[in-house]
Amino acid sequence: MSTANLNKYQLIIMADDKQVVLERILQVTRYRGFLINGMNAEVNTGNNVATITMTVSSERPISLLIDQINKLIDIKGVRVDNSAVNNKQQTA
Amino acid sequence: MSENKVLTGGGLLFEVLQEHGVQHVFGYPGGAIMPIYDALYDSDVQHFLCRHEQGAAFSAVGYARAAGKVGVCLATSGPGATNLITGLADALADSIPVVAITGQVPTAAMGSDAFQEIDIFGLSLACTKHSFQVTDINDLEKVLHQAFEIALEGRHGPVLVDIPKDVQLAEVTERLDKLSHLKNKVKLPLADISKALDLLTHAKQPILYVGGGVGMANAIEEVRNFAEQTGMPSVSTLKGLGAINPDNENYLGMLGMHGTKTANLAVQNSDLLVVVGARFDDRVTGKLDEFAPNARVIHFDIDTAEINKRRAADAAILGDLKGNLPLLSMELSISAWQEELQQMQKDFGWRYDHPGENIFAPAVLKTVSDLMPDNTCVTTDVGQHQMWAAQHMSFDDPSNFLTSGGMGTMGFGLPAAIGAQISRPHDTVIAVSGDGSIMMNVQELATIKRYQVPVKIVLIDNAKLGMVRQWQDLFFDGRLSETDLADNPDFVMLSQAFDIKSQTISKKSQVKAAVEEMLDHDGPYLLRVQIDAKENVWPLVPPNTANDKMMENV
Repeated sequence: MSTANLNKYQLIIMADDKQVVLERILQVTRYRGFLINGMNAEVNTGNNVATITMTVSSERPISLLIDQINKLIDIKGVRVDNSAVNNKQQTA
Repeated sequence: MSENKVLTGGGLLFEVLQEHGVQHVFGYPGGAIMPIYDALYDSDVQHFLCRHEQGAAFSAVGYARAAGKVGVCLATSGPGATNLITGLADALADSIPVVAITGQVPTAAMGSDAFQEIDIFGLSLACTKHSFQVTDINDLEKVLHQAFEIALEGRHGPVLVDIPKDVQLAEVTERLDKLSHLKNKVKLPLADISKALDLLTHAKQPILYVGGGVGMANAIEEVRNFAEQTGMPSVSTLKGLGAINPDNENYLGMLGMHGTKTANLAVQNSDLLVVVGARFDDRVTGKLDEFAPNARVIHFDIDTAEINKRRAADAAILGDLKGNLPLLSMELSISAWQEELQQMQKDFGWRYDHPGENIFAPAVLKTVSDLMPDNTCVTTDVGQHQMWAAQHMSFDDPSNFLTSGGMGTMGFGLPAAIGAQISRPHDTVIAVSGDGSIMMNVQELATIKRYQVPVKIVLIDNAKLGMVRQWQDLFFDGRLSETDLADNPDFVMLSQAFDIKSQTISKKSQVKAAVEEMLDHDGPYLLRVQIDAKENVWPLVPPNTANDKMMENV
């Protein structure tokens, strides 16, 4: 599958460091039609908050994925890092 | 924390269930959940032994939907847990609050491919609203409280709690003094009320599009008041049936693939859709690009993710429907629109003057609907009989019509009826099923026998997988592939084997007396209704087609 024409976004996700939170994010991202181009996850052991930075691409608007990730119980917040990637179209 | 009597994990489970008002649970024991079943022995919670874990899950769903409470089911590890999955997926698709408890192999054995070990925690991710695996007894109470809170918070849904055997056996001496609540993730309403009022004021041909969220938001009264005060014609999704009083002169019936002609034409010609607790499901919209092409949209929902998911909203109002909808109530000057649709209702009304002596399934279901007592709860399976029930039966509350909407799960109807009957022992419960669907969870006839659950079963029997056969006839050149069920068992004899009174009818002249006998019978009853295998469900909007291009009795 060619990804050349897909919109690319970088998401910054803050989450409680709970069981399988990373798997939940990955499952939702795949199911909602987004490819994962890269990711990084770190946990602040002081406050048990995980910060996940994820680059995704899709034909679909990023708002669709943000809303679905936001619904996950352990998520504290999701935002698009507009400066990180060149999007064909920014819809968040 | 406060000191209490010593409890095992299993004992703690039942104490917490009772604190959440749980009186009944549905389940099936097995090796990795034996400590919980041992604790059940001393508990006041009543357990119903289903004959398959899928039956337990659907009984919990039916219980939840009929009673407006959380349904609870139990299963052991491995195959017991995986057998719950279809029920949990069904509950997720239809936003039903269910808490599923699964036993797991001991923590020391986890990850070793132990006997009856499966990663149900991993499997649960796609079919639950949330899930937990409790590996420390000290976390169990908090997790159980959170499971109930999550199941009921915002948009309802199923939650799974996986408990390893050693945690079930471990002792706990302290209970939580104070519960820590989840952060409130339901967002405040967007400030679109003034825009919505403006859209409503200028609408000439508005339609109120009512979904299953209305019942779950406990907003039936508010939606009915809104429909009355505005005089707005209304349509319902499959799950919304019962939210609008079916006697309302501006109510047009179900929309979508098997919706009424008037409902679909009205929506297609509308200039404003006021959408309450609905999500533009593909079975509702037909070809999405051509759905209500000239309508602006006011969308009320509790779930942010449903706004703009399939159809852009001109005004989105998030949050509690019960509080938000009255903000839009006003009198509208739409008498010409009302009269046009009322005339269409007369022109396109259902007809029951079917030729010949054979039984016409829509007429049977209309008869059942006319004769059943007030507040009867009807469940269905999935297929032609489901659509005929939705079209030809009348419901005055969504909790009186339980059907698998989003997932479309054959096998739902019988166990859901058992759950509904247990939650509402004084109401009549009728399971409308088909000869294909009933075989999916036929083992639950044993649950009916065991507890003498007085469910009435109306079995619409065409010896076919009727809906698939209909599509094969219409869209696959009549190549009937694997849809003949002429070798079904003798359903009357089968029922009798479970001490369930039963009879078969095949002529129109038998219908009324047979339905009356079924409804008058004290215990469970199965009425097998033989119908012509070639009957189709009409109207039908073909796949990926606009809703005004429906097929009618071809």
